[in-house]
Amino acid sequence: MLTTAERIVFLILVVVCGGLAFRGFANIVRIVRRGRKAEPREGLLGRFLQAFLDVALQRPVFKTRPLVSVFHAFIFFGFSFYLLVNVNDLLEAYVSGWSMIGRGGVAGVFNLLSDLLSVLVLTGMVALLVRRFLAKPKSLEFNASVKLHPRVVAGGVPRDSLIVGVFILLHVGARWVGTALHLAKEGHGDPWLPTASLLAAGFSGLGEAALETGTHLCWWVAMGLIVLFLPYFPRSKHLHLMVAPVNLALEKRTPRGLLEAPPDAANPGAKELTDLSWPLLLDSYACIMCNRCQDACPAHATGTPLSPAALEINKRYYANEHAASLASGDNTGGAGLLDFAISEDAVWSCTSCYACVRICPVGNAPMFDLIEMRRGLVFDGAAPDEVAEVLRHLDEKGNSFGESARKRPRWAKKLDFKIPDARKQPVEYLWFVGDFASYDPQCQEISRTVARILNSAGIDFGILYETERSAGNDIRRVGEEGLFESLAEQNAAALAECEFEKIFTTDPHTFNALKNEYGPFVDGGPFDVVHYSTLLLDLFTQGRLEAGTQLKARGTYHDPCFLGRYNGGFEAPRGVIRACGLELVEMPRSRENSFCCGAGGGRIWMKDHPDVVERPSENRIREALELGAVDYFVVACPKDLTMYRDAVKSTGSEGQIAVKDIADLVAEAIGLSAAEVN
Amino acid sequence: MKIVVLMKRVPDLVEDLEVDGSGKALATEHLKLTVNEFDDHALEEGLLLKETSGGELTVVALDAADVDKMLFTALAKGADRVLKITGAANVEGNTGLAAVFEEVLSAQEHDLILTGVQAADDRDGQLGPIVAALLDVPCVEVVTQVEVGEPGEGMVTVHKEYSGGVVAELEISLPAVLGIQAARQSPRYAPVSKVRQIQQSATIETLAGAGESSGAAAGGGSGFSVVEMTAPETGAGAQMLAGVDELMAVLEAKGVV
Repeated sequence: MLTTAERIVFLILVVVCGGLAFRGFANIVRIVRRGRKAEPREGLLGRFLQAFLDVALQRPVFKTRPLVSVFHAFIFFGFSFYLLVNVNDLLEAYVSGWSMIGRGGVAGVFNLLSDLLSVLVLTGMVALLVRRFLAKPKSLEFNASVKLHPRVVAGGVPRDSLIVGVFILLHVGARWVGTALHLAKEGHGDPWLPTASLLAAGFSGLGEAALETGTHLCWWVAMGLIVLFLPYFPRSKHLHLMVAPVNLALEKRTPRGLLEAPPDAANPGAKELTDLSWPLLLDSYACIMCNRCQDACPAHATGTPLSPAALEINKRYYANEHAASLASGDNTGGAGLLDFAISEDAVWSCTSCYACVRICPVGNAPMFDLIEMRRGLVFDGAAPDEVAEVLRHLDEKGNSFGESARKRPRWAKKLDFKIPDARKQPVEYLWFVGDFASYDPQCQEISRTVARILNSAGIDFGILYETERSAGNDIRRVGEEGLFESLAEQNAAALAECEFEKIFTTDPHTFNALKNEYGPFVDGGPFDVVHYSTLLLDLFTQGRLEAGTQLKARGTYHDPCFLGRYNGGFEAPRGVIRACGLELVEMPRSRENSFCCGAGGGRIWMKDHPDVVERPSENRIREALELGAVDYFVVACPKDLTMYRDAVKSTGSEGQIAVKDIADLVAEAIGLSAAEVN
Repeated sequence: MKIVVLMKRVPDLVEDLEVDGSGKALATEHLKLTVNEFDDHALEEGLLLKETSGGELTVVALDAADVDKMLFTALAKGADRVLKITGAANVEGNTGLAAVFEEVLSAQEHDLILTGVQAADDRDGQLGPIVAALLDVPCVEVVTQVEVGEPGEGMVTVHKEYSGGVVAELEISLPAVLGIQAARQSPRYAPVSKVRQIQQSATIETLAGAGESSGAAAGGGSGFSVVEMTAPETGAGAQMLAGVDELMAVLEAKGVV
C-alpha cells in the first residue's frame, strides 16, 4: 500500500525512534537494578502466567471504581487486539496485495473484532478524558500539604494523561477512519466492518485521489504516531501497560504481614531513591497515577500530607529527571527521598494498614517505601519525640506504656480464679495477652471477660505473667528493626520454656507478629497461633459455649487491619457475632476494604497531625451511624476498643452507638452476669 | 572542647518502691534502675554542643545495674569515650558522689562538665555545685541551653531558668560545671541495632573509684544521715465539685468570698 519512499521513511523512523526508546528502557532496567536486594522471586513461570491471566481478566483493575474499570477494559481489550491490527497494517504497507478488507472467514472475524474494539477504545478513551478534564473528580487531587515534585506541580500528570489520551484517540481513530476511507474507495460496505461501513457512507462524495491520500494519511497517523511516540513511551504513564504485568508477576508473595528485614543491618532504611529495594523502584514505573491508593488511605482521607500515590508519582518524575545519572550510579549523594518524594511528617502519618498495597491495580507497595524511610530515620535518631519515648520504654521495660514489667499480669488479680502460669505448668492454650490488653484499663476489662468466658467453658489456658514482652508488631512498622528483634528473641526464649499446644491472643497486631514474623526466632518454625475470634467460634461450634440468650440488637462490625486485610480473618468474628444472635449490618467499607481506625504503624503513640480534619476513627464512627439504627459497633481488637470509644465521645455519639468487644457479646449471650464479668 | 557528662542511674519510679527492713533505705529486691532523666538531658545538650562546635565528649558514670547498656547507648548516640567508676557503690549522697567524680575529673582533660540539675534519689540537688567547689571552677544550675563561640575563646553562653518563666543569659568562663534542667530537644533515641554494633566494637574504660575514703576527701562525710524512710501518707483525697454553684458554696463556707 505504501510507496517505496514512504516505506523507507518509515523504516528510518523506526530505527531512530526505536533507538531512543531502547535507551529509555535500558535506563529503567539499570535504575531498577540499582535498588537494594529483595527476597528472591521464585517460580517465575507460574508468577508470570498468573499475572497475565489476572491482567487478561482485568482482575486487579476491577477491585474498585467499577465504571472507570469498564472504560479501562474497553481500552485494554482494544489495545491488546491492536497488537495484531498493527502487525496486519505493517504487512499491508510492506507486502503488496496483503489486505484483510473484503474477506470472510478468519479475516472476517479479525475485521469484525478490530471494527468493534476500535469503537470501544474510542468510547472508553473519550469517557476517561471527559472524566479527567471535565468531571474533574476529587480523587485526582492531592491534599494541599502533600509534597509534589515541581513537574507534578506544573501539571505534569494531566499533561501526560492528555498526551497519552490523544495518542490513543489518534492511533485508533485514524486506523478506524482509514478503514472507512478504504471501504469508500472500493465503493461498498463490508458486513464484517459494520461501524467503518457506516462511516464510509459519509465519504462517498470524495474523489478517488482524495480517498487515496486519505488512506495514506490515516496509515501514517495510526502507525507513524506509534513510532514517534516510542521515545516518549518509557517516560509516560502509558508505560504501565508493559511494566504493570511484570510488576504484578514480581510482587512480594510472602504473607502480607511479614515485613522483609533490612538487607544491611549496619545501614538500614532508605534515604535516597536507590536505597529502596528493586521491587519498590519498579513500582514507580508501573504506577498509572490513578490515585486509588490515595482513595483507600486513611491518612490522606483525614487530611494529612501523606499520599501514597504522590510518593510513587514523585519517585517517577525524579527518576525520569535524573535517569542518566541514576542509571550510571553517579547519583549517589544526590537528593534524598525526603527532598523530592515525601515530607517527613507524611512518612510518620502512615498507619501501616496495607489498604494502598491491597487496592493497587498494578501491584505497587508504597507502604513498604514508608517503612524503609522510617528505618532510616529511626537509625539516625530522628524518630518523632513521642515515638522515641515509646521505643525507650519498650527497650527498658518491654511495653509501650512505660509501665513496670512486673505490673503486666496485674489485670488478672481481679479475677476470682487464678490463671495458670504457663511458665510452670503445661497448658493447652498459651494466651499471649499483648500490651494494650494487659495495661490499658478499658482493655483489661475485656481481658478479664475473655478469661471468665474461657474458664466457664473449661478451657485449659495460661499466661506468661511478667515474662511476656510486647510482640513488637508495631515496633517493626515504626522502623525499629533491632528492637523488634530484641523483643522477638525475648518472647521466643520465654515461649521455648513453656509447654503448650496453641497460642491465642485477642490482639490482631500481636497475632500478626507471632503468626508471620516470629519464624526466624523460633526453632521448629512459626507458632500455631489463633485469634480469639477463631477460638470463640470453635467453642460455639463444639458446643462448649452455648448462647442461652439471643441478643436482640443490631450491630456492625469493624475488621481490624491486622486480622482482616493482613490475615484474612473475616469470617470468625462474624460467626461469633451471629452465634450471639446479633443482627449484623455491614458498613460500606468492610472486609478487604475495611477502613483503618488510625492506630496502626505506631500512630497510636503519636499526636494527630495538625492538618487532620477528622480522625480515621471518627470518620469510621460516622460511617457506622449512617447505617441507621445500629446499637453496637463491634470490635475484635484492643486498640480498636480504645480508639472507637474515644471516637464515639469526640463525635458526641454517646447514646447513639456503643462500642462492644466480641467478648462482651459472648459474655452476655452465654449468661455470665455483669458481676461475674467484672 | 573537652565535654564531660556525669551520669548516674536512679531507681525507676514506675516500679512499686518498698522500704527495706532497716526502715532507712529502699528494698533492692525488685528495685530497677533507670538513667536519671536530667542526666540524659545533660548528655543530649552535650551532644548538640559537640555537633555544632566540635570537641570530644566523655561520659562518666558510677557502676550500677545496667550501667554498661547506658554507656553503650551514650556511645551509640555520639559520645566519644565512656568511663565506668567501680568500687564506689556505697558513697554517701552528693558529697560523696562529687568527691568520686572530682577524683576522676582531675585526671581527665575537661573544659565543660555537664550533669543533670537533680535526680530522683537526690536529697539536695547539689551535685553540680559540690563538684564545682571541689574543682574550684564556676557553676550554673538549672541550665536549658549552652552555646559556644559568642563571647569568644574559653567562654560559653548559657540560659538559666528562674521561676515565673524568667530566663537569664549568662556568660561563663571555662572550665565550668553546668546543671542541666532540659536540653534544647528531647534526648535522642539510639536504635538497638546501633547499640549492639557499638557493644561489639567499643570498650568501656574502667576506673577504680576511691570508694569508702571519698567521703573523707570531701571534708568529713556528707553531713547527712537518714533517720527514717517511709512512703508518703495518703491524704484525705480531693472533694469533687459539680459546678460553679458548689464552688461558690465552698468558698463562702470558708469565708473566702
